[in-house]
Amino acid sequence: MENRNTLLLTAMFTPALVVFTAFFLLPLARLAVESSLGPSGVGIYIAAITTPRYLETLGYTVFLSAGVTLVTLVVSGVSGVFLARNEFRGRSLLVSLLTFPLAFPGVVVGFMIILLAGRQGLIGDITGCLFGAKVVLAYSMTGLFLGYLYFSIPRTITTLMASAEKMDRSLEEAARSLGASPWRVTRDVLIPALVPGLISSGAICFATSMGAFGTAFTLATHIDVLPIVIYTEFTLMANIAMAAALSIFLGAITWAALSVARAVAGNTVAAAG
Amino acid sequence: MKRRFSPAFTAQLGLTLAVCGFLIVPVVQSVVAGLTENFMVGVKSGLTLRWFVKVWGLYRETIALSILIGLACLACALLLGVPAAYAMVKRQNRLTRLFEELLVTPLAVPGLAIALALIVHYGAFTAFRRSWAFILAGHVIFTLPFMVRSVIAIMHAIRLKDLEEGAASLGAGFGRRFVQIVIPNAVPGILAGALMVFTLSIGEFNLTWMLHTPQTKTLPVGLADSYASMRLEIGSAYTIVFFLMIIPLLVAMQWVAKPRPRTFVMEAIAPATALPDRRAVFPPAADRSDEPVTGSGTALRLQGCAKTFADGTRALEPFDLSVEAGETVVILGPSGCGKTTLLRIIAGLESPDPGGRVYFGGEDVTEVPIERRNVGMVFQSYALFPNMTVAENIAYGLKVRGVDTARRNRRVSQMLEMMKIGELRNRPIDQLSGGQKQRVALARAIAIRPRVLLLDEPLTALDAKLRDALRVEIDGLLRSLGITAIYVTHDQAEAMALGDRIVVMNIARVAQVGTPREIYFAPRTRFVAEFIGTINRLKGRVQGDRLILPGGSLPLLGRVRGPADGEIELFFRPEHARLVDPGQGGLPATVAASFFMGDRTRLLLEGAAEGGLTIETAGNRCFRKGQRVEVVVDPDALLRLDA
Repeated sequence: MENRNTLLLTAMFTPALVVFTAFFLLPLARLAVESSLGPSGVGIYIAAITTPRYLETLGYTVFLSAGVTLVTLVVSGVSGVFLARNEFRGRSLLVSLLTFPLAFPGVVVGFMIILLAGRQGLIGDITGCLFGAKVVLAYSMTGLFLGYLYFSIPRTITTLMASAEKMDRSLEEAARSLGASPWRVTRDVLIPALVPGLISSGAICFATSMGAFGTAFTLATHIDVLPIVIYTEFTLMANIAMAAALSIFLGAITWAALSVARAVAGNTVAAAG
Repeated sequence: MKRRFSPAFTAQLGLTLAVCGFLIVPVVQSVVAGLTENFMVGVKSGLTLRWFVKVWGLYRETIALSILIGLACLACALLLGVPAAYAMVKRQNRLTRLFEELLVTPLAVPGLAIALALIVHYGAFTAFRRSWAFILAGHVIFTLPFMVRSVIAIMHAIRLKDLEEGAASLGAGFGRRFVQIVIPNAVPGILAGALMVFTLSIGEFNLTWMLHTPQTKTLPVGLADSYASMRLEIGSAYTIVFFLMIIPLLVAMQWVAKPRPRTFVMEAIAPATALPDRRAVFPPAADRSDEPVTGSGTALRLQGCAKTFADGTRALEPFDLSVEAGETVVILGPSGCGKTTLLRIIAGLESPDPGGRVYFGGEDVTEVPIERRNVGMVFQSYALFPNMTVAENIAYGLKVRGVDTARRNRRVSQMLEMMKIGELRNRPIDQLSGGQKQRVALARAIAIRPRVLLLDEPLTALDAKLRDALRVEIDGLLRSLGITAIYVTHDQAEAMALGDRIVVMNIARVAQVGTPREIYFAPRTRFVAEFIGTINRLKGRVQGDRLILPGGSLPLLGRVRGPADGEIELFFRPEHARLVDPGQGGLPATVAASFFMGDRTRLLLEGAAEGGLTIETAGNRCFRKGQRVEVVVDPDALLRLDA
């Protein structure tokens, strides 16, 4: 009977495994193989990190993603804890509005930034009125930064709100009963309790930013981020080997970021429990 | 609240509002732009819906295709993801853990890379490459992890194992459990996952942009086209269409995620008269003709049942036990002594190590799974099915057995009446108090006329007063039903009150088997004596017919006389000692502490024996710390025990 159940469970599990293998594992393996089939063979990876253009792009992308992650964590951390801790009129409307952009694809986010900071954008109009010169941010590094913030904040706020709600309030009350000031409570109790949530949502934020394509695509900035370079290598230059190699680089970076975060946050969680 | 107006509150609110403005202002702008004749001129150029007409003409096919792919993707995620999630929760082995790890990777690998991989691998299959199924494949890989994780989370949250064991004890097999217990209780997680999958699929761009062809354009692809080449107004109108599509999905997601208000149920303590109604148990001859309350109990025999877990832990040493038909045997022991393992072996939830056998009557049931053993089981967590009402829970085992509706209803009524919970018939499970749940769990287990009733710490989750009331009730029930019952507990009072016999266990072994009186008055080891009640130890030397202690001496009866001049340890219960006036030949002692317990006073005495003594006297006597007293112990009650 036990064996029959094992058999049935395996049967339930197999279709997902097959589909996953066919449409994810095999293609990725093929991509890895394909990257080394170009004229320079495995040397393409060395070419990828020694060519100044690619290296510069990689640097930009990492720098941008890290910056976005940092700002997102600070902003979402404050707002998320605030929303989890306070009951006031209009709170649920505020939460709904903050999470609305959660489902926006990158292209829509790009469009939102164009509306906000583009040539006909709101910021341009306001600065035009005030200073007589239109400020256009959308197509620069700032535009990309704003766009990445735009899609990162809603996701991060929801996760951090959830972890703030799960926090044991009696810990804070205990700290206050022992004479800790609000600032000390924040530093000694609140932030340590949030750390696992901050690490994991920060890692997801970083990974998403690294791989974001739609926003940069819509904004069509002068600054190339890695996904755009992969796209142009593939479609315009037909340099499949380089596109594959860069994709694998990109995948490796995001995967590593997530694994490190999981290892670290996991340990913290275990220690706290 | 004062801190609502504190600077910290204001600053946080300000930041949150600023973020909200950053996110929502462009949304408002796009809505305005989509409705305005000429956005460059502004709203004064007039409002119009003509851009929507344009969008409909240009892009309706992309909208239709997105919905089609979204639904197909949802179907795939449900069919692949839900069974896989269940298998992963149930079977924790290297393969499932590896797959769980792998399932996260599509979240880590950028969509662009996945798309590139798919194109490189399947690009040559042009029919596939050009169809929307190609996009679907990408979406399924991208969304499957969300579905699986959502379902795994809910399955961990609903104590799936308990519910499934409950269903199995009532006779439900694998398929029935999956369809009737697992799926209905996982619905919130499945729903949340489904909404997520559909929303993600509708809005997916990174993968889709690479995978699409001019014939297979989805909504986000169309959006990108319109932003790149069309007027701002058309792009905005198209964006509004997208908003209108996702708003219901987001609202539904919030609704699913919202915690349901839990009905608070007051615990009504059953009055002492609420014994199970014997008239219901043995109804008048007229209506009991074809429906006896229970089948006759079966004798039970365990032979050499040992249990070693996969990690090598020995949970149970080879164990033999015979239980007569209709007998109630209580398995008593501290937590971790193996008593629950023993019960699970009897139930069929665990199998004994090779060589061990379980017999019900004459039948060897060792290889029979729980769903075919016909046992009634009451779980510590009750394991009542939250997706069913009280009556449906009680009827479940009968339904599994194919009993027709009329007889099922009659049996449910009989059970409800017997447990005095008729008014709860149509209540959902989450609106019951702990005591009520306990009654439903008992009714459900008895309804199937089990051969053996198994109770796993059924009262542990209840508070003290209710526990006492229900203990009386269960005792009455077991006696009047004449059912064979195995009752596991760590509470000695429960064991004494309920058991015809008690099996005391200690670290995977039987310490003693006997009637409650034997266990209490003639414990065989110190462990048993100390586990049941309080026991005092006297350590001294035997001289003639007296026991010489550091502070004095006590008379002995012949049978405990030890080796001459040897050290000896003797034990007695607190109630077998009394205080005498000084000078009457008692053992002198000093009161170290006294606890007034109402009907009696418990005294801790020092000076009389190593480690102190605990004795009991009448409640109306007062003692103060340091008071000198003398103690006499009934020589009949002195016990010698093995270590």
